[in-house]
Amino acid sequence: MIGNKFVAAMLAAGLAVAFWTAGAQADPVNLTIGKLLEVTGPLSDTGPSQDKAVKLAVQFANEQAAKAGVQITAKDIGADVQGDPQAALSAARSLVDQGASCLIGPSITPESIAIANGVTIRKRVTIWPTGTSMRLRTIKDEGTIFRTVPPDSLQALALVAAAEDKLGGASGKLVSVIYRNEPYGEGLAKNFSSAWQAKGGKIQGPIVFDPAQATFDSEAGQVVANNPDAYIIIDYPDTYAKLGAALVRTGKFDPTKGFVADALALSTVPNNIPPQAIEGMRGTEGGTPTGTDAYKIFDSLWQKAGGAEHYSLDANSFDAATLCFLAAAQAKSSDPGAITDHIRSVTTPGAPKFYLTNLADALKAVDSGQKIDYIGVVGAFDFADNGDPTISLFDIFEYQKGKLVVIKQIDAARVTE
Amino acid sequence: MSADFWLGVGVTAGVYAIFVLGLQINVGFTGLLNLGQAGFMGIGAYAMGMLVTDAGWSIWAAMPVAVLVAIGAGLLVGLPSLRLRSDYFAIATIAFAEIVRYTLQNADFAGGNQGIIGFDQAWRDVADGLLNWLDRFGLGGYTQLPLFVAVWVAFGLCLAGLKLLQASPWGRVLRAIREDETAAAALGKNVLVYKLQSLGIAAALAALAGFFLSLNVTYLYPSEFDPTFTFLGYAILVLGGFASYGGVAVGAILLWAVIEGLRFLHLPLSDGQMGALRFVLIGLVLILLGMLRPQGLLGRKAEMQFSQ
Amino acid sequence: MSLTALVLAAGVGPVAAGQATLNGLVAAGYFALGAVGLTLVFGVLRLVNFAHGDMLTFGTYVTLGVTALGLPFWPAAAVGVVATAVLAVLLDRLIWEPLRRARTSTLQLFLAATGLAIVLRYGVQFFATGQVRSVGLDTTSSVDIGPWHLGTLQLAVMLIGLVTIVLAGLGLRYTRLGKEMRAVSDNIALAEVSGIDTRRTIRITWLAAGGLAGLAGILYAAAIGSINPNFGFTILLSLFAAAILGGIGNAYGALAGGIVIGLAQEWSTLFFNPRWKPAVGFAILILTLLLLPRGIMGRRKARA
Repeated sequence: MIGNKFVAAMLAAGLAVAFWTAGAQADPVNLTIGKLLEVTGPLSDTGPSQDKAVKLAVQFANEQAAKAGVQITAKDIGADVQGDPQAALSAARSLVDQGASCLIGPSITPESIAIANGVTIRKRVTIWPTGTSMRLRTIKDEGTIFRTVPPDSLQALALVAAAEDKLGGASGKLVSVIYRNEPYGEGLAKNFSSAWQAKGGKIQGPIVFDPAQATFDSEAGQVVANNPDAYIIIDYPDTYAKLGAALVRTGKFDPTKGFVADALALSTVPNNIPPQAIEGMRGTEGGTPTGTDAYKIFDSLWQKAGGAEHYSLDANSFDAATLCFLAAAQAKSSDPGAITDHIRSVTTPGAPKFYLTNLADALKAVDSGQKIDYIGVVGAFDFADNGDPTISLFDIFEYQKGKLVVIKQIDAARVTE
Repeated sequence: MSADFWLGVGVTAGVYAIFVLGLQINVGFTGLLNLGQAGFMGIGAYAMGMLVTDAGWSIWAAMPVAVLVAIGAGLLVGLPSLRLRSDYFAIATIAFAEIVRYTLQNADFAGGNQGIIGFDQAWRDVADGLLNWLDRFGLGGYTQLPLFVAVWVAFGLCLAGLKLLQASPWGRVLRAIREDETAAAALGKNVLVYKLQSLGIAAALAALAGFFLSLNVTYLYPSEFDPTFTFLGYAILVLGGFASYGGVAVGAILLWAVIEGLRFLHLPLSDGQMGALRFVLIGLVLILLGMLRPQGLLGRKAEMQFSQ
Repeated sequence: MSLTALVLAAGVGPVAAGQATLNGLVAAGYFALGAVGLTLVFGVLRLVNFAHGDMLTFGTYVTLGVTALGLPFWPAAAVGVVATAVLAVLLDRLIWEPLRRARTSTLQLFLAATGLAIVLRYGVQFFATGQVRSVGLDTTSSVDIGPWHLGTLQLAVMLIGLVTIVLAGLGLRYTRLGKEMRAVSDNIALAEVSGIDTRRTIRITWLAAGGLAGLAGILYAAAIGSINPNFGFTILLSLFAAAILGGIGNAYGALAGGIVIGLAQEWSTLFFNPRWKPAVGFAILILTLLLLPRGIMGRRKARA
């Protein structure tokens, strides 16, 4: 008798525990991550790599979640922003309509602002633009716009630091500035020029080139004219293939005098850029990247997948997608507003750090409600109040034998001291 | 596919509809192949934006002035180029539109690559007020509704105005010029003046379209005013019908429903390929429009007489 | 032209002026070559072919595709040229001929051409993606002519372009086919009546225009080093400028027009920021239409 009652009690207790844990276990989260891609239009060279970056992030995160036993899976859907704010608006709407909880991209600030004002602020969907203009922060976004790319005000200071480091100071030194005619280049060039001139340096230019043009020989000639002490070249890899060749053809170009920004920071020089146009050139990029284990994983995922080659800011979008995934895992929900609220609690300075190398552990930690500090492939984020990364640490790198080698690290925030 | 998405498409269609009313008076009723309409739109929109952000004007005052500026541009362009034969005139207008776009992209006074932002606060206040009022009927969630209504009411007014104009003696002369310019001139009509007026009206309509476009996108950026806008406008014109003002609405709604609806077409292809395929399909639509039903859905074949 | 060059030399110094002139002549090579096909089609068929720029793109991408299969560049280029020529004739059969028979208006032709341009451009992108491709030739070696520099590849492009255009001009002037093309260009009804097989002439025109377009695109890509699917469309207006400036229907005119546009654009960089280069081309186009509509060498009537 007692035995039966005991068994019954045990069964009941067992059932109760089973129900209780089942109840405590949330329904699996199905997350949709939207990609705002430049498939057509003037920035269409960035499309394929941005697409691949988010795809890889989603794939890898799904695998790690399965490994960690965390109930979340994501899928990615994309739309073409066509380089036009009006089309971008409709692209964003179509993605949100199909259930996207975060939007990775777009590439330029006019598109970002159009989308923010028209779609995402209202629906509390986070967007992760790769545009670097400070203009983006002139609108009240209610915490929905995050960037994993440092804004051009900081980038410009990093470039100043890199140039000063090489030339031994800015005062009296002549620097040619050339940029590709679109918002990224213009913002960075303007900020660099005013900072450089404030330190007593001289600027030649800025020389602006239209990427759709046939020849860049005149522009290249203007860059090397008067034998400047350095050149600041703000460009993307595909147009630099043309510009670089034109620079070499002038016969007066010395790549060791050149400095580039993060859009031209590539772990290996693509083979359409002539080596004489880039060997020995230096540049700046935010955070840590290429030497770390996290980057090695990212790179091996990239190579294994085939398809698009590495291109500007691919790792930044990879990280953005991963952050969205982590936030959703922590929120145990794919509701955009919930994810927005959790972005900062997966990038909390001072909390336990996690990397791409132990993403499964990171997922376990957030699943149990813990706050973490996820360090991305491009480095730590530590988002400021406005959603921009605050880490002012930049790497100064040099292209040696076709590969990017980090030679030192500086703190851009200290440059104006 | 939410109501919000389709209302958004409706706003874009409305902007294009007003834009194409301008093309229609040029092509359908005067026989002018105006390929520079996007340039007039850019001038009107930027004039408004600059007056508001740089000179501190109210947007309601800036808008009419911007329309006048666009009309001025129309007359400036028309005076030297209207005496050219029609295909040369077309090329001249497209060159003009591209110069406008390049200037907007490269000149500091126009914001260059940074564009212009912050001109639409007044409209947003109005829209928010409208949405609050609509909330009483449970419609406050349709954020696109105020602009949608505004655009189409504007279109309706322009449509009515153009129809009246067309029925007037002035309109009859216009039609005569389209069908046989020499005859019209022989009857003592100053053909150039009528053509200029037609171009001026088109420019005004383009500016109005630009106004609504900028309210929709909240950011003035040169790529919004590129030749593709004009080309799609012509597709709408042919789709909706030659010499049919009302047809413009049908054409605009149809074309944009297709273009945006194609975003939801999912084939086992990559996003990159889908994006490219979407445009291939749009291009095929244009070719078919050119080849199969030139008078459009609501046009009449008899209207297709041209004096070229 | 030479007078302007001398004035420039006096103004900015012979080295800068000379270098800009050389750069301009290289640019002239692409513009002129691209413009010849355009001008032939316009002359013979009265068709403003807005799809012409994308035919340059098509030829180039076919070439790239063939090199990916293993063929070296210049034989692959021959394949690209032939492919574009064939495409041009096919498109005539499919699209232009029916429209000619139906005596359609300029607007319809424009719409069909624009649609075709879009189909070609995005068709190429569908298969090749928007990623920029490089042609894999050496773009950095250059030759020195005194204080001036010129890329070796660019020099080659310039020479090939020049030779091709001269051959085209000679062909138009002295061969029977050329005379027939000019006759059709002048007055198609009269040409038919005098026994010319106009349909054949039209087909030959398209073959030539297509082949020249393919060659222009390939040379452009070779000299620049890398391309994306948009490049043909973006230089289209400059090609129109060159064709109209030179006088519609005239191959030598296309050469002259290309030279003027190329030089003007590069000379403008001596005074203005290079960002304004494209606008210079358009401005010249407008001025030409308004002041010299017949072009430098043209005979075509341009007034309405």
